[in-house]
Amino acid sequence: MTTMFSEFTLRNLRFTRGKLSKLARREANWGLLFLSPWIIGFFLWKFLPMIASLVFSFTSFNLLHREDVQWAGLENYIRFFGDPLAGVAIKVSLTFALISLPIGIIQPILMAALLNQKSLRWKRIFTTLFYMPKIVPMVSVVYIWQGVLNARTGWVNIALESIGIPGPDWINTVAWIYPALVLIGLWGVGDMMLYTLATMQGIPTELYEAARVDGAGAFATFWHITIPMITPIIFYNLVLSSIGILMYFLVPYVLKGPNGDPGNATWFYGMYLYKEAFAYSDMGMGATMAWILFLFAIVVTIILFSTQKYWVFYAAEEV
Amino acid sequence: MAIRTDRSTTLLSNRMRVFLFSASLTLFALIIISTYLSPFGYMTVTAIKDRSMIADPNAPILPSKEATFNYEGQELAVYLVPTEDGKVHEWAILKKGREESTFIDPTNLEAGPTEWTGRWRTLERVWSVSPVWENFSEAWKGLNMPRLLRNTLVIAITGSIGTLISCIAVAYGFSRFRIPGKNILFMALISTIILPEFVTIVPTYVVFERIGWIGTWLPLIIPHFFANAYNVFLLRQFFMTIPKELDEAAMIDGASPMRILFSVILPQSIPAIVAVGMFHFMWSWNDFFQPLLYLSTERELQPISIGIQLYNARYFAQPHMIQASSLLGLLVPIIIFFLAQRIFMQGIVFTGVEK
Amino acid sequence: MKKILTVLFSLLVIAAMLLAACKPPAPAAPEAAAPAEEAAPVEEAAPAEEAAPPEKVTIRWFVGLGTGANPEHIPGQEEVVARFNETHDNIELVVEFVENSIAPDQLKTQIAAGDPPDIIGPVGWSGTNEFSGLFLDLEPYLGAFDWGDFDADSINAYRLEGEGLLGLPFAVFPSMIYYNRDLFDEAGLAYPPQNYGDPYADGDPWTVEKLEELALALTVDANGNDANSPDFDPKNIVQFGYHSQWTDPRGQAAALFGADNFIDDEGNAVLSERWRSAFNWYYEGMHVKHFMPNTTYQESDLLAAGNPFDSGNVAIVHCHLWYTCCLGNVPNWDMAVVPSYNDAGDVTVKLHADTFRIFASTENPEEAVEVLLYLTGEAAGDLLQIYGGMPGRISLQEEFFATMDERFPQGVNWDVAVQGLAYPDVPNHESNLPNYAKAYDRIGAFQTLYESTPDLDINAELDNLVADLQVIFDEAK
Repeated sequence: MTTMFSEFTLRNLRFTRGKLSKLARREANWGLLFLSPWIIGFFLWKFLPMIASLVFSFTSFNLLHREDVQWAGLENYIRFFGDPLAGVAIKVSLTFALISLPIGIIQPILMAALLNQKSLRWKRIFTTLFYMPKIVPMVSVVYIWQGVLNARTGWVNIALESIGIPGPDWINTVAWIYPALVLIGLWGVGDMMLYTLATMQGIPTELYEAARVDGAGAFATFWHITIPMITPIIFYNLVLSSIGILMYFLVPYVLKGPNGDPGNATWFYGMYLYKEAFAYSDMGMGATMAWILFLFAIVVTIILFSTQKYWVFYAAEEV
Repeated sequence: MAIRTDRSTTLLSNRMRVFLFSASLTLFALIIISTYLSPFGYMTVTAIKDRSMIADPNAPILPSKEATFNYEGQELAVYLVPTEDGKVHEWAILKKGREESTFIDPTNLEAGPTEWTGRWRTLERVWSVSPVWENFSEAWKGLNMPRLLRNTLVIAITGSIGTLISCIAVAYGFSRFRIPGKNILFMALISTIILPEFVTIVPTYVVFERIGWIGTWLPLIIPHFFANAYNVFLLRQFFMTIPKELDEAAMIDGASPMRILFSVILPQSIPAIVAVGMFHFMWSWNDFFQPLLYLSTERELQPISIGIQLYNARYFAQPHMIQASSLLGLLVPIIIFFLAQRIFMQGIVFTGVEK
Repeated sequence: MKKILTVLFSLLVIAAMLLAACKPPAPAAPEAAAPAEEAAPVEEAAPAEEAAPPEKVTIRWFVGLGTGANPEHIPGQEEVVARFNETHDNIELVVEFVENSIAPDQLKTQIAAGDPPDIIGPVGWSGTNEFSGLFLDLEPYLGAFDWGDFDADSINAYRLEGEGLLGLPFAVFPSMIYYNRDLFDEAGLAYPPQNYGDPYADGDPWTVEKLEELALALTVDANGNDANSPDFDPKNIVQFGYHSQWTDPRGQAAALFGADNFIDDEGNAVLSERWRSAFNWYYEGMHVKHFMPNTTYQESDLLAAGNPFDSGNVAIVHCHLWYTCCLGNVPNWDMAVVPSYNDAGDVTVKLHADTFRIFASTENPEEAVEVLLYLTGEAAGDLLQIYGGMPGRISLQEEFFATMDERFPQGVNWDVAVQGLAYPDVPNHESNLPNYAKAYDRIGAFQTLYESTPDLDINAELDNLVADLQVIFDEAK
């Protein structure tokens, strides 16, 4: 794998074409042909709206008064960095990311590992069942968990009380809202589990046989063969989860409403952004927050990509 | 002889061990899955209750009705009433009171109403399990489920086909070809999912409005024929796990890039491709905001996600109807998922042999 | 291979040109471009044989900002639309239903994209505050309109200075006390009075204090102890005495403690002593005296996960006439009058009023008004049955209550509702505030805080609220 962002890439694009051998040019053309659906689609549906939103961020665009749009320069950005609520939002989102990201990475691996066991019976049924929560509409999911986690009538606390532990008020206290959100999040990993499983099933059996001949135990095999072979998908999960967690807010929004309750604990960055853009109709500010998030997330993504060469194993190296 | 017996017992105990391992592993998985899915139990139970069952603080977990007795046109709840003589009677409550209530004995009506001193709230009730299956038929009719299912299937299936074709091509391009500026292109691809969609909704809506696609399925289907970052990135990751020697060998045999895609890459990645197809299908099944945005004026064309959301009225949420309609909405995807696994599993065998 | 690149490049150019063409027109010129586009598909769809049908104008009706988008509401409204379209050659009425919690976002997207609907409704004050300034003045389009069927006060409520007449009275929803007869019987208590001015059965004046006394006796734990008992267990309540159902803090305060507002005439954030005591009353009722459900109880299955009175486990609630929508479970309820908030016997009955409004941006104001008159006139009877609204038209009221009697055979004293119209809250508890969305959010945050937090310094929080509101109001200046 070449370094994702070598400083020369841009220059390569512009100046080295002439130097490409005929064969290399042929390869590049074929490549572009395969990329063309996305490139066309990008310019058709994505590019203009993205640029438009960037422009919004320098204006006072109010959703309800589009005829009154005024150029605002950096005003939105200045306002953002002086806004204590923005600070709260950043802190909340980063805190929650630190709590839930590791779980979101590890849980699908464990589930896929279980489903990948040769000795497991009724595999298809288990896979379907493990995947099932992912299909439930989000509103239903929130209702289910709201019912299950209710401090008085919820099943979780009834179960806890039956073994003598007084259950907490999960969704109305600052101390317990994150554990509650993490619990709800456990239901959202079906896709990642499926991808991980698909990758595990593609691992050549000879590798395992070789390990067995060497006398490696189950854990050593998992650690030294399975994990390295699924690093590309772990990497994928890491990148997408990191991006996703920075925008996370819909579940707490449906669960606790738009005010960050309890006590600002769910005042997620995404929530604030959404509220500025829609609840307060201030699309200028919303776009500003979106682009600040964008810049931050792209830096995170680039950093993640640059770590690839240290731990992600690609069979088709050096493309 | 002795050796032989030994062998067969070892064999037997080996088999025994394999069986025991498999059984305990499966048991372990059963425990995990029942914990993991226990909220589903709540969902199912809620879906077959009516409002009064949901709200009854003393009701058993299963949807149960109080046993009742029809007395002079009134449905009276039946309680287990202990009396001074040490007996416990199944009496129906005629008039509730704080410290004393009036009961009637269903087996002995001539005796007439009996006064009983004590708090009725502390009495046990007689329950009979009676699931409210009507919730499902009500949701089915109330939402016009056949229409919703048809619409959802069309949108989800065509969208999945488009996604698969385009994403396979693009991911192939990104994983197998040296293209100048590829890394920048790839970052541009990723960047399309980094920008929160709330801020692109309005301009995107304008684009679709100007080309006259509002009120049609087109905005929900056509863009998927132009690949998306999630699936391209995912497939690229899969394709990168396929050793390059395989296509180099084919290339030396004179295979065109097209041939290599079909004869080398695709057969190797069937599980991944099925997974991506599933992902898009399920995503499309639950995608709610976009269909609403583009189809709000066309009820005939709306998919199931919009239908279920209607039960979420802010002030009159109907938990049992939300859950009943969600469960109905789950059936088709679950069946499809279960069936798709057959291909999924075949894919494994296939690639296993290939490698 | 050069060919491929050429093809690719030309495709890109086409795409770019397409997009350039699709760019929204300059804000000044939207009226010129749009009508032709909108009318075109309709024309194409109409069969050619019909003897030159007059050009049909599409009018879009957006339902969901208020009531109307529940699944059980929809078929009836679709019938109304179908009937309209059958009887009108010049207009094609198109309706869209969007669930209430997302309706504002959907509507804002349409407005921002320059594709708004023509008519919205039914919707009350609260739902339209954010959109104030965008509505059409109906007066110039009404011509010789018969005003006789409306109460003059209710029409004037829709006349705003500088904006004109923004709606016609359609549905009015006075508020009242709903009580559960069975729970009163069980406790051996007499029912609350049903005429304004009457005392409670024991001869005491019908006041908030009296209401609290009843509510305490009607709050019971699992062992059957009421809230007055020393053995009462607040962790295990199975029946509550009182709840102010489905309203925000301004509504809570106005419900029992008289009309007021968080803003004075100069635009300053304020809190009157009367309202301060109101919030103290609610706070203590939830966390100290326990006769009202706190957040956890409200969300629990015990109270039907958010529909407390209909769970059958709350004896008294204060709500509006529209609550008849959502009473499917409690068989034996009735209405009583709102208690007075002082010894002088003063009463306020907070009022909701729903109607339809037209966006000033509509391309076809005359046709839109025609639809509006249909919805508030010919179709009003049917629609009001669907929404459960008391007709703004006097001529429709009798029939309305007759149908309500069929729905609720236990016998409900509807006169309580009619009497209540004489005591409306002025200013209305849903009246507009500067920077409405933010102010409303801040007030809502106060509500969740005090309803969910025991050991709160409620007066300090009220001071915080006023201070924050001042900042929010100032932002709008």
